[in-house]
Amino acid sequence: MPTLPLSAAGQIALAAGLAAAAVYLLLPKPRMRSVAGGIAAAVAALAVFSLWLVQAFGRPSHDAVGTALFALFSTGALGFGTVLVAQRNPARGAIAFSFVILSTCGLFLLLAAPFLMAATVIIYAGAIIVTFLFVLMLSHAGGGPSGENDRTREPLLGSLAGFAFVGLVLFTLYHAAAPAAAADADDPSAPVVGKAALPAPVVTPDERAKLLEAAGRFEALAERAKALDPADNQAAREAARAWLTDYEREVIPPSLLSSVTEPGGTPSPKAASVPPGGSLPRRMTAYRHDGQADAAKARASELYRDAKKRFNAAEDAIGLRPPGTPLDTALFAREAHDTRGDIRLLAGMADLPARNVGNLGLLLYADHLLAVELAGTLLLVATIGAVAIAGKKGAHS
Amino acid sequence: MIGLWHYLAVAAALFGIGLVGFLTRRNLITMFLCAEMMLQGVAINLVAFSRYHGNLHGQVFTLFVVAVAACEAGLALALFLMLYRRGKSLDASDWQGLREVGVSQTLDTEPLAPAPAEEALPTLTPAGARPARTEEEPARV
Repeated sequence: MPTLPLSAAGQIALAAGLAAAAVYLLLPKPRMRSVAGGIAAAVAALAVFSLWLVQAFGRPSHDAVGTALFALFSTGALGFGTVLVAQRNPARGAIAFSFVILSTCGLFLLLAAPFLMAATVIIYAGAIIVTFLFVLMLSHAGGGPSGENDRTREPLLGSLAGFAFVGLVLFTLYHAAAPAAAADADDPSAPVVGKAALPAPVVTPDERAKLLEAAGRFEALAERAKALDPADNQAAREAARAWLTDYEREVIPPSLLSSVTEPGGTPSPKAASVPPGGSLPRRMTAYRHDGQADAAKARASELYRDAKKRFNAAEDAIGLRPPGTPLDTALFAREAHDTRGDIRLLAGMADLPARNVGNLGLLLYADHLLAVELAGTLLLVATIGAVAIAGKKGAHS
Repeated sequence: MIGLWHYLAVAAALFGIGLVGFLTRRNLITMFLCAEMMLQGVAINLVAFSRYHGNLHGQVFTLFVVAVAACEAGLALALFLMLYRRGKSLDASDWQGLREVGVSQTLDTEPLAPAPAEEALPTLTPAGARPARTEEEPARV
């Protein structure tokens, strides 16, 4: 990976300056418009921005496909966004905007938000874009040059102001995030600047590796359960009991979420009483006192509780089953698989949550019911307002 | 693994591009699309934080942002239609009469490039004399 002989601030300033020059050259105006120069500057700005992103927040690793998709979607969003801003023809700009939306939806999917992805595609690409293309058709005033499409308002000052704002935001982000991001990306070479304004991730890389190992063991348990002979005989019972013993060994002693390392930051006085091998919930209590740590703690405790509950269910399936009925090996496999999924979710590397839509609906109608009603009312009022504004005066007479 | 910060940086850049477009462009529809792009940057922020915190509250926020954006689109559409009916143009600078007292007027001094001349359409030479009307086939003439 090439590096730039510049500090982080210099890299951000260079990227912002190149981006401002690119947009200035690309914006439609009577003179000083250079599409080739603008594209070259835009590509250079994107390259500097990418290098800065990697150097500041750590080199993405472990997930080549995810990294490639992120690069594809983010480049698509930024590239088509630039096309929208620089495009002379508003209809083509609307098409570029729809590609921005599609790229954003790809990022939503990478962030485990499939419902939002679908909703955004339907609402933006399916409704807003089509509606605006209708307006464009209604107001089409010939193909010649026009002030609205071929002139811009203060292109130089506008570009400089906009990208200076972006540069400041990125610099603030860098100062706030670099230490935590370096820890998150498993990249010790990433620079550490100042004091972290945002807390480090609750699950450290070592813990994540341990959790993934545990998830692998539960996956193996699920495969073993599938291989159990469901016939009702003594051998099957013994095999199921051996399986249960292994499951119990994984869940209970040693603790599923035991930690081998201590997180960064200053330990509280309470930390002295916590043994170094304490479980994640206990460690959280000792070192972190914020909402995010509480959420991770609750999730880890819930995982532990659920794993024990699943063990009890599997035990009951063996002990309480009526004589002469076959073993429910699918239940064992399901319990082990669910535990494995929960562990991977806690590690932050889980597959897409399949129950995302259901959970989102539950959250909307349980915790945010009033807001949903207000949003619906707002939509109704906006519809009435749009009809009132667009209606011709005297149309009824 | 791509972390929270990568998403935040991309969202900030998307927001900034939309901001530049909103500040510089004069077509009302392009300005509106740039504002929507800024909202997309905000939505990426919210969803990334939702993933980071391991809950769905950020996604719920994004849903409300989308609902508000839909309201905004409906009202903006109606406004643009009304403005176009009055001014026969979608140029925001046509409405600078609404500016505050003391702010100077923006004048377009540089002439626009002339429109490219349209190529003349080919003309067909007459193929022959006009056929005479006959009793048998009145509809052909």
